[in-house]
Amino acid sequence: MARPDLKFGKKLKKYGAVDFNACYNCGTCTAVCALASETDSFPREMVRYSVLGLDEEIKGSLKPWLCYYCGECSTYCPQEAQPGELMMSLRRYLISRYDWTGLSGLLCRSLAAYAAAFLAVVAGLMGLFFFSGWGQKEWMHYGHLFEMAAIGGVFAFILLPNIVRMWYFTVWKRKKTLRMKTYLLALPELLLHMFTQKRTLSCNDERDNTLWWFEHLVLVLGYLGLLFATVFLDWFASTHPVVVAAGYVLSAVVFVVTFDFVIRRIRKRSEKSVFSHPSDWFFVIWLFLMGISAFGVRLLVDLGALAGHFWLYLLHLTVLVQWALIIVPFGKWTHFLYRSFAMYFDRIVKMESPAA
Amino acid sequence: MAAVERLSFDALVVGGGIAGIEAAINLGDNGLRVLLVEKDLTLGGKMIMLSKVFPTLDCAACITTPKISEVARHPNVTIFTNTEVKSIQKQDMHYFKASLVRHPRYVDESACTGCQLCEEACPAVVPDQYQYDLVGRKAAYIPFSIASPRVATIDMDHCVLCGACERVCPPQCIDFTQEPAECQIIMKTVIVATGLQLFDPARIERFRSGHAKNVITAMQMERLLAPTRPYNHVLRPGDGKAPDKIAYVLCVGSRDRTVGNPICSQICCMYSIKQAQLLMGALPMADVTIYYINIRSYGKGFEEFYEQAKGMGVNFVKGKVGQITEKENGNLVLRYEDIRSGRLKEAEHDLVVLSVGSLADPDASGFFTDGRWEQDEFHFPRQKDLFFNPALSSIKGVFLAGTTSCPMDIPDTILSAGAASMEAIRYIKQSALGI
Repeated sequence: MARPDLKFGKKLKKYGAVDFNACYNCGTCTAVCALASETDSFPREMVRYSVLGLDEEIKGSLKPWLCYYCGECSTYCPQEAQPGELMMSLRRYLISRYDWTGLSGLLCRSLAAYAAAFLAVVAGLMGLFFFSGWGQKEWMHYGHLFEMAAIGGVFAFILLPNIVRMWYFTVWKRKKTLRMKTYLLALPELLLHMFTQKRTLSCNDERDNTLWWFEHLVLVLGYLGLLFATVFLDWFASTHPVVVAAGYVLSAVVFVVTFDFVIRRIRKRSEKSVFSHPSDWFFVIWLFLMGISAFGVRLLVDLGALAGHFWLYLLHLTVLVQWALIIVPFGKWTHFLYRSFAMYFDRIVKMESPAA
Repeated sequence: MAAVERLSFDALVVGGGIAGIEAAINLGDNGLRVLLVEKDLTLGGKMIMLSKVFPTLDCAACITTPKISEVARHPNVTIFTNTEVKSIQKQDMHYFKASLVRHPRYVDESACTGCQLCEEACPAVVPDQYQYDLVGRKAAYIPFSIASPRVATIDMDHCVLCGACERVCPPQCIDFTQEPAECQIIMKTVIVATGLQLFDPARIERFRSGHAKNVITAMQMERLLAPTRPYNHVLRPGDGKAPDKIAYVLCVGSRDRTVGNPICSQICCMYSIKQAQLLMGALPMADVTIYYINIRSYGKGFEEFYEQAKGMGVNFVKGKVGQITEKENGNLVLRYEDIRSGRLKEAEHDLVVLSVGSLADPDASGFFTDGRWEQDEFHFPRQKDLFFNPALSSIKGVFLAGTTSCPMDIPDTILSAGAASMEAIRYIKQSALGI
């Protein structure tokens, strides 16, 4: 028997939820949702869970990840209960529930914690700058080492355990299956959604939505490419003309697209950009700063002017450390993994369910 | 324009629907000289268009016509139909001044016998607004058989000026030279009974009203079910097929903040249940499904009426329809969440009735030009004392009758008209005594 938790709503508001208590259960949101189906009916179910505070049901549900926020539910909700933004805040909430360290939740709930974490990184790097006595060469060398260490460390200690937790809540608790065949057969789903986000396209047929999907796809590929170029091909130190040119293009893609995303959030023209949580702002702005500072650093390298403008590298490194230690493990970055793993897990659960 | 006509009355009643008629009779019976003004060609308002009334299932036309005939023959009541109120102003402490425009019918009202020969002769056919566009009418026409006054009108917007009506009219009463006439009225009190405005469902694009032919409004269904109905049978307008899977979509344009009308319209649940029961009689083999958010059967006998519909086999589904898609054969696919199971579902119907909500009539606020007329947040006239004196408007001496002030059903409208009449009489007596 489910026990309503009336304080849950207040908690959810810190994750960005607005007005969902206004819901009078008409089901318009579900009925206008292009992604909802008879087997996956949302968002009203999630609104209901949220109003009643059914934490276990929310934690075990993949439905928040099945939504790609076209915002039609919010447009047509007769009570203006903003179901689209509720789904968004549930995704933030789920990120915090999957995270074993609890830091995701802390950062999401408190802007002060976010700021403190960012400042701590700045302070640490400044300390290192004054006390290490490193020159430009050491900084760039250790900076590159940091990138590799951060990727490995964050993945091994934070992201991997969190994905296992997600699997435990959403698959194991419901189906208790370990059949290798299912896991293998469902695997294409993971890769498909990770690299195409194609569900966005079924969201609604508006032109702007298609454009948004395209920009997002370019951004994802640009970001991954830039990551690969800087970390594994050592773009900043590389002399290979293809690597150098590719790095310029990829970093430009990152800052140009994120600039547009920031503008969208300022203009609030579409439902999905009306509400912006601090974690959304940090995500797009830091990605923008990272792209543009990387571009600038390499430009200085090519102009032979880095020594005179070394502050830019330090700025880039600061942004990078904040990104790698805060936003990637505990911030919005994780939606890259959870969204695609949600599609994978959802397929597994469906394959293990008796044919409906 | 001809010379301005000047008249004086004790009371002006604006609106010749059931509220205005009731108020005019009440005032007239109490010895007041009343002018009843109706902008339409006939008295009767929305009630006379209805099939039957809930929850008694009396024939609406049969119970409206005696009232109309009573007011039409009342010695103390003067009736101006086809007349528009331009402005109402307070002239001094005891009198109001109104400016009216009497639009021409292009027919001499006193001479017309209602023989309908002009209608037969007229070659111009246009959609009949009194049948909610289900069928056509002529440009020379009588609104409907029980119209009051039952006289012909030439619809100048569509008349082709062929003169056919003029040639066949036995009393020679057609007069194309008529012009709008201005009229100044002095009176002591005003009752506003302009009624409500039904929500235009074309505003909600996803319900396909106006695009899909078999998506109709509840008012069109009233006409299909009325004794004086257009096809003499319940048929769907798209292809004339007798429908056998009919859906009702409730709360279209009411309880909906996205269209600016968050309140319940109070009548749609019940009129839909009434229509469903009548459909069970008219089409015994048909399935009728009502999609609702909540059924609000709040009045005396209403819950029993709802239970009776369920007992008759009307299917009630909790869940608001989100989207309607038209199929090639004219059938409609309704997408909704079945709230009981929590699942998204689709259902095919061959006729969809949109149970539209009611809005404030903007006319009610247009007359008062001196700025003292106040509205509430829902654009209805503000009721100054909602609890103890609901008929009071924000202007002293102006009273509200019926659905002018908020959505309500017919019995409540009659009560409200009674309250407004009583307040108007008290106001006149008190001002005569100098209170």
